[in-house]
Amino acid sequence: MRYGRLTALSDISFETPCGSSTAVLGANGAGKSTLLRAVLGWQALAAGEVRIGDAHPQHARPRLAYVPQRHAVDWDFPITVRGVVEQGRYPSLGLFQRLGAADRELVDGALEELGISELAGRQIRRLSGGQQQRVFLARALAQGGDIFLLDEPFAGLDLFGSEELTHILRKWEAQGRTVLAAVHDLGIARTCFTRGVLLDTSLVAAGPIADVLTPANIDRAYRHGHCVHAGAARGEAHP
Amino acid sequence: MSVHDLLLAPFSYEFMRRGLLSAVLLGASGGLLGCVLVLRRLALMGDALSHSLLPGVAVAWLLFGTSTSALFFGGLVAGLLTALGSALLSRLTRVKEDAAFGSLFIVFFGMGVALISKLPTRINLADFLFGNVLGVGASDLRLAGAVSAGTVALFAIFYRSILLETFDPVFHRATGGRGGLVHLGFLTLTVLNLVAAMQTMGIVLALGLFLLPAVSAYLWCDRFISMLLLSVGLAIGGSVVGILVSFHAGLASGASIVLCLGAAFLVSVLFSPRYGALRGLRLGSARPPAA
Repeated sequence: MRYGRLTALSDISFETPCGSSTAVLGANGAGKSTLLRAVLGWQALAAGEVRIGDAHPQHARPRLAYVPQRHAVDWDFPITVRGVVEQGRYPSLGLFQRLGAADRELVDGALEELGISELAGRQIRRLSGGQQQRVFLARALAQGGDIFLLDEPFAGLDLFGSEELTHILRKWEAQGRTVLAAVHDLGIARTCFTRGVLLDTSLVAAGPIADVLTPANIDRAYRHGHCVHAGAARGEAHP
Repeated sequence: MSVHDLLLAPFSYEFMRRGLLSAVLLGASGGLLGCVLVLRRLALMGDALSHSLLPGVAVAWLLFGTSTSALFFGGLVAGLLTALGSALLSRLTRVKEDAAFGSLFIVFFGMGVALISKLPTRINLADFLFGNVLGVGASDLRLAGAVSAGTVALFAIFYRSILLETFDPVFHRATGGRGGLVHLGFLTLTVLNLVAAMQTMGIVLALGLFLLPAVSAYLWCDRFISMLLLSVGLAIGGSVVGILVSFHAGLASGASIVLCLGAAFLVSVLFSPRYGALRGLRLGSARPPAA
């Protein structure tokens, strides 16, 4: 994957089975977001391909749901919890079509599943961090897909919010939903996800989380990152 | 002075009826556009954009005289040149988009002032800048009607795309939305409305008709649709009151409308029950806490 002359991510190949939760790990600039973009089909690949089932990402769009980073959201926007969750139905509506009974049922179901039905009429700033995160998870659910791409879902959550989210994501996996999330915190990755993809502008390791997060792999992924930025000062090479 | 003299008599004049209708029409569409400008933090860009229309309008005047459609296209070309030019500059050089926009618009504005002061006509620079309700002709009114109806119709048809693109452009794109197209369409509509509002409001003040109602509505509403509706209502109300004040007080119509809308903004800033300054002071914090 290239941005102009800069190669952001190369030599990467891995598979994620349906119904598993995978943490995409790596230092800043390792290519976590780039990988998510590739799976979403936003980024033309310089070489290689992404397949979702048998389909190109563009054609698998109804199966994919994307949850943005918390800091990318304008929490002062004049919109209620229900208003955000209803957006999940917009892509499947025609230009002059209004939300139907089936759409409303899906929205109600998503609000219910994430335990935010009582908050439906609230403006989104007047929620706790964990509740705010659940609003966007509910929007993803309302889309009706089965593959969820989350960009740093744990960033900015307090301990309680993190535990809440871990609980939800584990339940989703148990229900057969597929989750792919960019994650910063290795501890969270171990407790919350069954699989991992460790990146350092190329693939370091992929597979069951315990096999991926070995001391040797972590060392390679994170120290190598330092080497790129401060290698000259440190004057040491890594294999 | 009787109620009749105060409210109805002014509109026995043809030019007052035209001015009122033009302001009301553009208030309806501008109130909608303003909401997106405010929520996408494009308020200052809109201001710069409005200034940059001047040379286009001046050149059109020079070449084609008072033809409304020529003025319209002149303004449109100048506005789009500024918008696209600054986007291009920021891509090709290290200059960031805000600086590129700021530099281009001020050069354009200077060019416009220079052109108008040299034009061999009786037109008054002040009318261009601050508006003159006397100048609203039948063709201006038709233009205002068409632009307003087009804007309102597009907002109604593409309401959901506009909401998604304003609230969460990344999600909009992820779900197959044409974000770039919506944004470009929005910029074009803004320029069209600014040009159409030029006669009544003037280039410098036109944005006030869009922005002030929207930012006032922003302080009262917790839903996008109610913000749009309140903004349109305020814009229309402000136009009616403003035109009347301008008649009785002998003020420039643009200034008078902007001042009326400014009063509504001041009231909103102070007294909005949930987001007003007085509430902030009473609670001892500038904003309600996040959690």
